[in-house]
Amino acid sequence: MSYSNSAPIPSWWKRLYSVWYRHFRVYTSNFYSNAFPPFFEPLIFLVGLGLGLGSFIPEINGMGYLLFLAGGIMVTSAMYTAAFECTYGTYIRLVIDRIYDGMLGSPLLVRDIIWGEILFVGTKGFFFSLAVLIVVSCFGIVKEPLSILVPGVGFLTGVIFAALSLVITSLVHNINHFNFYLTGCLSPMFFFAGVVFPLANLPLGLQYFAEILPLTHVVRLARALISPELLNFNLVYDFLYCLVFLVVMSWLAIKGLEKRMID
Amino acid sequence: MTETEAGDYAIKINNLNKSFQTFQAVRNLQFTVAKATCFGLLGPNGAGKTTTLKLLYGKAKPDLTPETQIDVFGLDPHKGALGIKSFAGIVPQQDNLDSELNVRDNLRVYAKFYGLSPQETQKQIDNLLSFMELEEKALAKVKELSGGMQRRLTIARALINHPRLLILDEPTTGLDPQVRHLIWNKLRELKNTGVTILLTTHYMEEAFQICDRIIIMDKGEKILEGSPRDLLRANLEKHVLEIPWLRALSNSTETYLQKHQIRYEFFNDTLFAYSNSYESLASFGENLKLGDYYLRNANLEDLFLKVTGRSLNELQ
Repeated sequence: MSYSNSAPIPSWWKRLYSVWYRHFRVYTSNFYSNAFPPFFEPLIFLVGLGLGLGSFIPEINGMGYLLFLAGGIMVTSAMYTAAFECTYGTYIRLVIDRIYDGMLGSPLLVRDIIWGEILFVGTKGFFFSLAVLIVVSCFGIVKEPLSILVPGVGFLTGVIFAALSLVITSLVHNINHFNFYLTGCLSPMFFFAGVVFPLANLPLGLQYFAEILPLTHVVRLARALISPELLNFNLVYDFLYCLVFLVVMSWLAIKGLEKRMID
Repeated sequence: MTETEAGDYAIKINNLNKSFQTFQAVRNLQFTVAKATCFGLLGPNGAGKTTTLKLLYGKAKPDLTPETQIDVFGLDPHKGALGIKSFAGIVPQQDNLDSELNVRDNLRVYAKFYGLSPQETQKQIDNLLSFMELEEKALAKVKELSGGMQRRLTIARALINHPRLLILDEPTTGLDPQVRHLIWNKLRELKNTGVTILLTTHYMEEAFQICDRIIIMDKGEKILEGSPRDLLRANLEKHVLEIPWLRALSNSTETYLQKHQIRYEFFNDTLFAYSNSYESLASFGENLKLGDYYLRNANLEDLFLKVTGRSLNELQ
């Protein structure tokens, strides 16, 4: 054993990557239990909602209901994985396993930890959307070549819901309180963001309300990629909304979690 | 301490204060740690030891006063936390290993935080597993390890970057004697290679075994500072006689104690008598038919209890 006089500070991108790498190693250490649910979940949705409920629904704006639904669940699977990872997962790392305390003993700043985590959860979102894409492609529901870009929307969904969920986690001091967020915020969002039925069916007030929800915008982006006739310039606004949302939420998450991590 | 005056110190703290809402954890603390020495912070729970360590690497933020100075190898954690953490190794009080990962992967993940190359990482992991005698457990998951092994792994993890400064918060609390001695040996070895070590402990023996210099803290303040031996010599008689189940003294006993200048106190139904003369304590125990007694050398623990008080505070 000897000590070293040169101790370079890793560059910021190396620091973010190292945090990403930590989460990746832990996630893949339980590979089978983590890799299969993303494929099963869309199957359940497609069979349960698509075939069951869908048989009552003729077509939505010229789209088959299964295709309509596929566009929605491609992003909601990313949303839910992000929400669970950055609520229960983050809380356990923060309060119970004290993983962040260990990380803060190494050359990482709180913001490195937060951004590394957001990027990892974005990667998870990518993977979950990809899993849905594979399933719906196998069933021949999605055929458009552009749909190959959907996992990119999954990534975007992952990062914005990671950031939002981290803000929630920074405020929560009792793990049971996540129920308010998951059933009180995300479940309603699932129904009022155009996932299972089009927004146009909602009263005007609720339609405006839906525009505030981040999920609405990512659903719109994903759906346009699997049925290109929906592509239009307004999607740029959806994308910009997501970027602004991400910047604001990640800033709030860093401020809030800094208070929790630094005495 | 002429060398520290010349600026050849590892850590220099001046006027350090830290409060949490209404509670002041660290109060006007001041100390200097010379390079390649082992410096110990002693004190009861709630004395401010852990907070002091956290303040050094930016895990806690000090109350800012104009006189506050924190200098860790020339860096201030306010601006230079990343720099400090790059050359330091930190062992927190509570092991926070990744329980899902095996021993090797725990070290591999941590090496990434320091930006070590894969080749360097491999080499250093092999070194550390052998240094901490964990080779046989390289592929075991953390949750399969005993408490002592987890502690050794946490220390190995803190050494992954060849630290120049090692900060350990109660490195051996709750471990069995074998593991404690192993860790002490390793810390001595590290010190001999030039590593500066700062640690907190409740174990007086630990301080005696490995610390060159200690401070005793209580309620956030420094009470005593010096080498363990000097502190004992200057503040306490050489020998202690303990007599349990003694609640009061007879007149003749009291006269004897006064005559032989034996200092005494009662605590928890036990009499503690202190003297530099072994003989006078021995004959006191023998001749007065006081029943069971225990005559021993005074140790750091007696000093510790003397200066921090025997009764429990609200944080213990």
